[in-house]
Amino acid sequence: MLSLLIWMPVLGAVLLTVWPSKLSAVRLRQIAFIIMAVVLGWTAVVGYAFTSSDASLQLREELPWLEGLGLSYRLSVDGLSFPLLVLNSLLTWLALHATEAKIQRPRLYYALILLLNAAVSGAFVAENLLLFFLFYELELIPLYLLISIWGGPRRGYAATKFLIYTAVSGVLLLGAFLGITWLGGMASFDYQPLLTQTIPVVQQCWLLGALLIGFGIKIPLVPFHTWLPDAHVEAGTPVSMLLAGVLLKLGTYGLIRYGMVLLPQGWETLAPWLATWAVITTLYGALMAIAQTDMKRMVAFSSIAHMGYILLACAAATPLSLLGAIFQMVSHGLISALLFALVGVVYQKTGTRNIEVLRGLLNPERGLPIIGSMMVLGVMASAGIPGMVGFISEFLVFRGSFPIFPLQTLLSIIGTGLTAVYFLLLVNRVFFGRLSPQVTDLPPVTWGDRFPGLILTGLIVLFGLQPAWMLNWSQATTTVLAAPLIRQPLITQATPVISPSSPL
Amino acid sequence: MLQFLLETSWWIPCYGLVGAVLTLPWSIGLIQRTGPRPAAYLNLLMTCLALVHGAIVLRGVWHQDPQVILLHWFQAADLDFSLALTISPVSVGAMEAVTGLSLLAQFYALGYMEKDWALARFFALMGIFEAAISGLAVSDSLFLSYALLEILTLSTYLLVGFWYAQPLVVTAARDAFLTKRIGDLLLLMGVITLSTMAGSLNFPDLYAWADTAELSASTSLLLGLSLIAGPIGKCAQFPLHLWLDEAMEGPNPASILRNSVVVAAGAYILIKMQPILALSPGALTVLIVIGSVTAVGASLVAIAQIDIKRALSHSTSAYLGLVFMAVGLQWTDVALLLLLTHSIAKALMFMSIGSVILTTNNQNLTEMGGLWSRMPATTIAFAVGSLGLVGLLPLGGFWAMYQAIYSFWFGQPILVTIVLLVNGLTIINLLRVFRLTFLGQLQPKTRRSPEVAWPMAVPMVSLTVVALLMPLILHNFSLLPDWSYTNKIIVVLLLVSGLIGSAIGVTLPLNRGWSRTIYKPLRLAQDVLAYDFYVDRLYRLTVVAGINGLSRCSAWFDRYIVDGLVNLAGLSSILSGEVLKYSISGQSQSYILAIFLAAGVLGLLLTWSIW
Repeated sequence: MLSLLIWMPVLGAVLLTVWPSKLSAVRLRQIAFIIMAVVLGWTAVVGYAFTSSDASLQLREELPWLEGLGLSYRLSVDGLSFPLLVLNSLLTWLALHATEAKIQRPRLYYALILLLNAAVSGAFVAENLLLFFLFYELELIPLYLLISIWGGPRRGYAATKFLIYTAVSGVLLLGAFLGITWLGGMASFDYQPLLTQTIPVVQQCWLLGALLIGFGIKIPLVPFHTWLPDAHVEAGTPVSMLLAGVLLKLGTYGLIRYGMVLLPQGWETLAPWLATWAVITTLYGALMAIAQTDMKRMVAFSSIAHMGYILLACAAATPLSLLGAIFQMVSHGLISALLFALVGVVYQKTGTRNIEVLRGLLNPERGLPIIGSMMVLGVMASAGIPGMVGFISEFLVFRGSFPIFPLQTLLSIIGTGLTAVYFLLLVNRVFFGRLSPQVTDLPPVTWGDRFPGLILTGLIVLFGLQPAWMLNWSQATTTVLAAPLIRQPLITQATPVISPSSPL
Repeated sequence: MLQFLLETSWWIPCYGLVGAVLTLPWSIGLIQRTGPRPAAYLNLLMTCLALVHGAIVLRGVWHQDPQVILLHWFQAADLDFSLALTISPVSVGAMEAVTGLSLLAQFYALGYMEKDWALARFFALMGIFEAAISGLAVSDSLFLSYALLEILTLSTYLLVGFWYAQPLVVTAARDAFLTKRIGDLLLLMGVITLSTMAGSLNFPDLYAWADTAELSASTSLLLGLSLIAGPIGKCAQFPLHLWLDEAMEGPNPASILRNSVVVAAGAYILIKMQPILALSPGALTVLIVIGSVTAVGASLVAIAQIDIKRALSHSTSAYLGLVFMAVGLQWTDVALLLLLTHSIAKALMFMSIGSVILTTNNQNLTEMGGLWSRMPATTIAFAVGSLGLVGLLPLGGFWAMYQAIYSFWFGQPILVTIVLLVNGLTIINLLRVFRLTFLGQLQPKTRRSPEVAWPMAVPMVSLTVVALLMPLILHNFSLLPDWSYTNKIIVVLLLVSGLIGSAIGVTLPLNRGWSRTIYKPLRLAQDVLAYDFYVDRLYRLTVVAGINGLSRCSAWFDRYIVDGLVNLAGLSSILSGEVLKYSISGQSQSYILAIFLAAGVLGLLLTWSIW
């Protein structure tokens, strides 16, 4: 069942490459779109088979592969990975739609996007450390090519930087995985047996250090973040959507699954430092975003800032904060994908992303009013205004982390305030005011251009009003994930007083 | 039927929201043939529904105990997110006042915004506005109230920024959002702390917790301060007061609501939180100090304004300052009375000056004059609104001020003086505005100024009647003291302060064309007041410059240190490769030499133990 999620896109990619007759770019896009729609449908089927009340890893599949090496093909899914799987399928589908119809070398392009989707799905469902690592590395290849072939003017620099950074991250992960298995005295890299390992705390801390830097590059955490703004600025819109929406989540997902769960004692020891690191990442990312003039760079730095909340929640590791972390992953996935999609439309129509040049794009006749309205909604969601997903996720993160790390949580809340500052700068400069003379005579925006934005906007509001529909997938899992960690709350919680509420 | 309407009373705030959603086809341009008017009618219809539904509920709960409606929203881990609503005469009454004023303002907007192409968008925003405020009125949970305050922040931003093509509007919208957001975030810190410590965010639970809680003085002070920060931002109190003045750039129908019920919403939350604030005497003192400073400061600043809307908006801050003082002294019923009378009177005055602005296309007081003969209804509305606001004739404001002084009478002589001072200063200001706008010679801009059309006149006149009937309404709700028990000294004091104010207001020299004096000290004082004591410049030099500088520093650091190191590593690896390539000479003897040397060293190392 889960295998199909990996192999359908791979098969699709192969099909697109070897199809004998000549296909136009538009036709190829349609085919890729249909393939991804099938994958998305299949994700829904997986969701139907998924039991949300069951906290264990489910829908397992296993095939022996290289048993001597400890590598086996084991797949499974739980409440932590399932929302991310859905996010991956959905955003890939929308990213295909956001692709320009007349793209160069379409066969390779669409095949690479499908491969990227397959590799990321694989990483999310892998139940073997080495298998996860393989998928994690595999995802690099299509992404590197996507940036370096279809990117902007400095694509070579950005792609190479991304490749080297992530390769270093991969090496560190491999080292940490080897260490966990050997020190834990296991013969294979399978995930389940490793849960019972008893590595001394000091060694756990060292292993965790390697994992933290490895995943910290991917997330990215300050100071390992400089690849991200460059990669975003040079990558095309669909690739940016995927990069921010899904690929960064590989890092936070890995941190929870392989760092927090496998090395709980080490995690407890380092948690205060992690919380402080989270605050630094949040505030640094937010301050950097204020200083940017390129819309894409600004959104990229806001991604970094929002990743800080996830680290904070993971450091606190209460059931509530972990639930918040997962919700924040999904909500950031939706919001950042929306923002990148909208910035992409603005760039496509006006030819610039400079917030000092653009002005007055909300203009109802000659501007981009609907794109602008969605942008306002997106930035407000990102700033955590109620009614949208950002509010729920941030509230859960802050409320969950506060008992453990009160000071760090309060400092992170300042980060939310700074989010409002830079996004207001963006909206006020680019969309408010009089239409600037440089950008008159914009080509018309079709409903097709708006489609990804509309879908994402709808989901952002929907899950903002009905968060239970998403939270229920992960509730059981987060309770179990947080169980082995013993937390001493700094703020003691009173037993809730039950009010004698008289129902009418 | 009544039971059903009671159970579904949580629909009342939702009507506005539904109306907002229904306008979408018009506001995004899907339907263009009909023009934007149907959207406005839909919204008016929804508000009417809310008003009717609310009226029936109000009759149902009259003289009954408060009831609680719990709406289960979602459950996250061990935290239950239930939205608690309280259905009591006070809360439903407040909701009715909000919906009623919203209906009047929307009706008024039909006329005021008639020529605006974005009428549908305006009504959608008004719908959200109304939904959030009426939700606040019945909310019985701090979580829900906080969320609604945030939505209010957003809709204020969008309403102030409605005419987004104008440069002043852009900065006004930004400042409104950011200032309120600072308050909201501090409030969020308090909400999260309370949620952790008390375990629940419903007000009854919080009150129960506050009764028994034992907090250290510093914790309770910090908690109290963070809780009052939200209302400070919402009610435009010092030091978060600048936004209200700037927000006057927005459309006037929204200003009607903003100056009456939106600021009241913030104070309403403050009143709700009062038992929790009572944990910390320090926080209450801060509340009183902030209220007094704002009340006096804003009253003074108002006198120096020459923009008709801004002259009134500062007085809003001043009155909310009085409310803050009352809450700080734990006189919540006085605070509610002040809020009610102020809301009605202020809404009426804003309707009146909205008519003036629309007919004269002008907001500058020094260019107006003589409108009384041209716009009688508007003139009467302004006069009644002013009298309803201040303590001179026994209309609403008089009784509110009387109650305020009555409760401060024992032991708070300074606060009594402040109330009297605010009364006097407000009368001076209102008389100044009245004389400049309605009396005197006709000016070029006021010469052709007919009375406004019926969509604006109807709500204005109806509200005038309501304002005139205010003492009767208060009497019916038994909110007025019996005449035989009234403290005559207070009545006399109030009248004297009012009369002194009137005397100054009437004799104040008004130079239309030459409104700036050449007398140096007076000119200095005028400038200090006209520019809000230069607080905005102070902020620009401190907070704004600080964050800007910090972000620039970090940008520099990121570019040259963090990224510089990364690029340096890349560069050094390339350079080392470039250097190493010169060792490839192509001469086989040097290769063989290198191999022998390396093998020798390796051999030495391997056989080290033997040696």
